[in-house]
Amino acid sequence: MNSANTTATTDRILVCCGTGCIANGALEVAEAIEQQIAEQGSSATVQLKVCRTGCSGECEAGPVVRFMPRDLMYYRVRPKDAQAIVASLEGAPVEKLMHKVDGKAVEHMADNPFYALQHKIVLANVGVIDPLSLDEYRAAGGYEGLARALKMTPEQIIDEVDKSGLRGKGGAGFPTGRKWRTAAGYDVFPKYIVCNGDEGDPGAFMDGSTMEGCPHAVLEGMAIGALAIGAEEGILYIRDEYALARDHIQHAIDDAYAAGILGESVMGSGHRLDLSIVRGGGAFVCGESTALMASIEGRVGEPRAKYIRSVQRGLFDHPTVLNNVETLASIPAILRDGGSAYAQIGTDSSKGTKVFAMVGKVKHTGLVEVPMGTTLRTLVYDIGGGIIGDRPFKAIQTGGPSGGCIPESLLDLPVDFDTLTEYGAMMGSGGMIVMDDCSCMVEVARYYVDFLCEESCGKCTPCREGLRQMRSILTDICEGRGKPGDIELLERIGHTMEDASLCALGKTAPNPVLSTIRFFREEYEAHISNKECPAGVCAALTQFAIEADACTGCGMCTKACPAGAISGDRKEAHMIDPAKCIACGSCREACRFGAVLTTRRTA
Amino acid sequence: MSEMLTISIDGKECTCKKGEYLYDVAKRNGIFIPTFCRSDAFEDHRACCRICIVEVEEGGRTKVVTSCVYPVERECSVQTRSEKIMEERSVVMALLVHRAPEAPSFKNMVGRMGATETDRLVTLDGEKCILCGLCVQACNALGTGAISTVNRGTEKKIDTPYGKGSDACVGCLSCANVCPTGAIEYSETDTTRTIWNRDFELVRCEECGQVMGTQNSVVFAAADEVVPTMCDSCRKKHLADEMMATYRYV
Repeated sequence: MNSANTTATTDRILVCCGTGCIANGALEVAEAIEQQIAEQGSSATVQLKVCRTGCSGECEAGPVVRFMPRDLMYYRVRPKDAQAIVASLEGAPVEKLMHKVDGKAVEHMADNPFYALQHKIVLANVGVIDPLSLDEYRAAGGYEGLARALKMTPEQIIDEVDKSGLRGKGGAGFPTGRKWRTAAGYDVFPKYIVCNGDEGDPGAFMDGSTMEGCPHAVLEGMAIGALAIGAEEGILYIRDEYALARDHIQHAIDDAYAAGILGESVMGSGHRLDLSIVRGGGAFVCGESTALMASIEGRVGEPRAKYIRSVQRGLFDHPTVLNNVETLASIPAILRDGGSAYAQIGTDSSKGTKVFAMVGKVKHTGLVEVPMGTTLRTLVYDIGGGIIGDRPFKAIQTGGPSGGCIPESLLDLPVDFDTLTEYGAMMGSGGMIVMDDCSCMVEVARYYVDFLCEESCGKCTPCREGLRQMRSILTDICEGRGKPGDIELLERIGHTMEDASLCALGKTAPNPVLSTIRFFREEYEAHISNKECPAGVCAALTQFAIEADACTGCGMCTKACPAGAISGDRKEAHMIDPAKCIACGSCREACRFGAVLTTRRTA
Repeated sequence: MSEMLTISIDGKECTCKKGEYLYDVAKRNGIFIPTFCRSDAFEDHRACCRICIVEVEEGGRTKVVTSCVYPVERECSVQTRSEKIMEERSVVMALLVHRAPEAPSFKNMVGRMGATETDRLVTLDGEKCILCGLCVQACNALGTGAISTVNRGTEKKIDTPYGKGSDACVGCLSCANVCPTGAIEYSETDTTRTIWNRDFELVRCEECGQVMGTQNSVVFAAADEVVPTMCDSCRKKHLADEMMATYRYV
């Protein structure tokens, strides 16, 4: 297919087929639209083509369908809407499927504030091109960065990356150029370039979506990195759960070999580069660089002490550069458009953009990319549209189990590598879980510690045993058995873990506990001293009651209650039977009139 | 010739080779750093008990490092018993004591260094293993590789694959002998040794009747050589007698 000739006469219907939209029936939607096109027929001048793209971003409103080049965007599309959509393409749009701003339907992507405030570099092609088409990637400027890199010396490539100010986006923020330069400086061969696609933070899907939506960008970044450090072999370590990402990357690798981009002579340059996929076994700890390499080598996925760094002795004891998916996917644009262009975006110390996976109690959940330095308030309120049900904001959990909980007082801080860290929180890899006032911060800490008890590798004492003890203490606090001194003991264990644990995951494992103690200490104290869960989450400390005056008798709570504890006639105030109530909070979530109250459980 | 460096450990000047592990330098200079998971028998150390942490000041920055695997690369000043280290070591000690309450060798250590006292920590009843991994290292070093750490997180333990008798195990007891806490259990009758979910036939010296090991371990140790039928001391005695018989009449 020659894309240059077809774009002039072909209009495209982009159907988002990211994981979220597929789960909501996007594949059926794409099929239905194709069928409709076949039935209604294209007009004489315009060919219609359905293009299954990667994640377009607003997962909460999926499946998303976009008609190009008119830039008409439809949300929450069902297969039965296909007929109306195809009929509308040259006429009046289908209003009920459009985004509404102040009650008025808007047509274009940029009219939706969710997209308008974003700046897409890593995700530039995600949701726009067919991820399985090398031609579409090339038509969008793909592999131009690699072509340019092939005309440069390794030093020039690294200088360009240095100039961009790019820092590792997996969370640590180590300058990519410096990492490459160190690896390039060792004359030990073979060298390796490894892509860390083991994204495992609960609620995070940035890297998965990038690999699914634009796999060639990751490969191109790896190829450029391989040239810079002198590697002829690269490995993509992708977690087992990311089946779609793996399929797309494999498809892209096969296409790149067939097109002479990979293999014996990269784009005819004489440089050899082989890329292959290694499937992770599903261990969270294998996202840690040395554990990841141990896993590739076929050993137990445990980290080692990093006093000798991987750039010197990494995979198979050879110099190895390990970069995160998002970091690698940023590289093609830097080489194509120049490092200085990239450095103009972002803040002084954090350049470029950052992709976030925003989930939780925010109205518009999804995948967003914003310039570094954007405030959390912009992310949550302007892009995310605020908290569901306009409830009060309580905290935002960033960076997964290695991250922390950020309170409202820090919402106006710019999000970059350094600022949040100064305030005892962190940006992390990009997972963001927004929480409203119905979230208990002690329970949140307990959840993450519980997660880590299973996912720590268990090699070193402070992490393994510290987590075990923290879980026990936090469970006690949540269930009303907390004792004075527990907070201080948690802090002592936490600080020891920070200093004495073997790897970065162990050193950051106490973050969910320490950051919630730091910003929500009074909530811990309420649990311990008053045996009260102010958020009404911890079942052992909470009971629910219905405020008769506010209750309209709609019966939503009765339907939601899994314990059959709520009774009441229609349009009459309802009652909760405390003997049957399991304090799960389903009634509170279901009530649209704020009539469900939480009180301290009396023994 | 490798470069020499002078560093200070607890105020004492110590010379060392560049790249030498800090723990080894301290030990050579008579400075005691406690450790559980390190053995002179192995070149690599797992660095997992985290008892041997020390504070290193290098170029104006102070950091906590694990001395058993920290290579001295430049001049530095080391504190093995700073306030921070004593606090963190006592927390790690407390964590270990509660993990393995039945490990007898801890009692001495705890008495000497002091673990954080608290009644808020849970103990694992009956547990002796501190997961130092020396047994796995020993088994690997012998070339048997029969045991490994299995599971992860708080469920991590040492075992054979799937907890079943392993064909690779020869029942040599190297793992049990290297274990600092006596956590690896085995039993013996007159003819059989049971360890790691498997029974092994014992071989006795044809001369003195002492147990020489399991049949599998004796064959494994002989490699391609002739499998011995008597124990080391009887073999030596025989050799000496033979030499005597040979050379007496020269």
